[in-house]
Amino acid sequence: MPLDQATHLALLAEFPFEWNYIRSIVRVSLYVSLVAVTLSTLCSLPVALLIGFKQFRGKALVTSIINTGMGFPSVVVGLVVLFALSNEGPLGSFDLVFTPEAMIISQFVLATPVITGVSLAAVSSVEQNVRDAAYAMGGTRFDVALVTIKEARYGIATALLAGFGRAISEVGSVLIVGGNIAGADGESYTRTLTTAIQLEARQGRFETAMILGAILVVLVLLVNAIVVRLGSDDGGYR
Amino acid sequence: MLTASDIYHGYDGEPVFENVSLSVTPGEVVAIIGPSGVGKSTLLRLLALFDAPDRGAVEYDGTDVWTVSERRRLELRRRIGMVFQEASLFDASVRRNAEYGLRVRESWTDRLRREFADLVGQRNGTGAEIEALETVGLREKVDQDAASLSGGEAQRVAFARALAYDPDVLLLDEPTSDLDPRNTALIEDAVLKARDREIGVAIATHDMHQAERVADRVAVLLENDIIEVGPTEGVFESPTDDRTRKFIDGELIY
Repeated sequence: MPLDQATHLALLAEFPFEWNYIRSIVRVSLYVSLVAVTLSTLCSLPVALLIGFKQFRGKALVTSIINTGMGFPSVVVGLVVLFALSNEGPLGSFDLVFTPEAMIISQFVLATPVITGVSLAAVSSVEQNVRDAAYAMGGTRFDVALVTIKEARYGIATALLAGFGRAISEVGSVLIVGGNIAGADGESYTRTLTTAIQLEARQGRFETAMILGAILVVLVLLVNAIVVRLGSDDGGYR
Repeated sequence: MLTASDIYHGYDGEPVFENVSLSVTPGEVVAIIGPSGVGKSTLLRLLALFDAPDRGAVEYDGTDVWTVSERRRLELRRRIGMVFQEASLFDASVRRNAEYGLRVRESWTDRLRREFADLVGQRNGTGAEIEALETVGLREKVDQDAASLSGGEAQRVAFARALAYDPDVLLLDEPTSDLDPRNTALIEDAVLKARDREIGVAIATHDMHQAERVADRVAVLLENDIIEVGPTEGVFESPTDDRTRKFIDGELIY
């Protein structure tokens, strides 16, 4: 039986598939993943440089822990972060459970080993004689580190992409620590593209799920394209 | 004047130098000759302040560089230029390579301003890097990618990179051992030009003819020590140490 227009509109109003809803989900997704990847990068690069060029006991152990972390199951990370943030946990006083910040923390934990591991491989491949040249030309240790990062820039860009891909496409941990919350007005609070997709699909709203899925893929492609473009420009290093 | 005095230095308990002394004075080229593996590179790295010697001192104009603050040591280190056996250029343009030493000496605000100027395509170099490239005959390659250069050109850019910030001392570690005669001649020519600018040059080489061509003094590094040092002609014509004679005559096989 065909619906009359009024009923149709009323249904649509209830139905959360509207652009505001989608836009707010994209906003939350991008905010959480970009902040997480930025923080991860700030931690990962110095760590990768240290591990890559300092000799210390247990270096092989640290490296294998990082490599293990690259494939760590995200639901387990979510669980651990949830425990840490819960009232009883060490970070309980910050009251972060079911907030975007909690999702940032869990994505940070997931992306950091990926960015560190791939960056480590990239900076380790920079030849020692190029680093020596930077030092011999009067560079400080910091200048040598900068040269190393510039020499390894393509590998590091790959690391950032891999980290971003891991963060934004991950569903297990953000579901656990974020709670997939959207307000009654259809504004996402902790609902990301991935958690929204699994919710919509489970509720049989395949069309919405497909649209969200397409947006997710396009976002990842877009970020890839931007990074590749920046890489080919070389940021004025030529 | 850069001086190494009474250096004892070793790796893993094995001595490389027992008691080595050598000075590099302005406007003079000193060649360090000796067979491969004798420690010529190690000596240059000590002079370039990469590492502190196990015993003995490296002095710059009378200052023991390993007793002063790190900041002061950086200042002294920045009076020294170095060229390695491999060009070891950065993966960047020839200009970026040649001006590297100038950049690291600038303040952070100046460096950021330069980076920004580069981003918007406005180059504002000081010109010293161009002059240095001119010295090695590569001015026209300034905007090329360093990766596109031939081995000889790359080494000449490496030379210009060390020359651009006008060091007082230039340390050359077998700079022409991988090069063809023409590029070798261009590098040697640049060495003599540097000497004329009152730069003190130390060049490690296993090429006796090169030592004869460019050096004012020769130091012979053999058996963990500098066994003889003196004016080039004197060392080659009438060495005081028998081992020097044997080495020069090519009798000493390692």
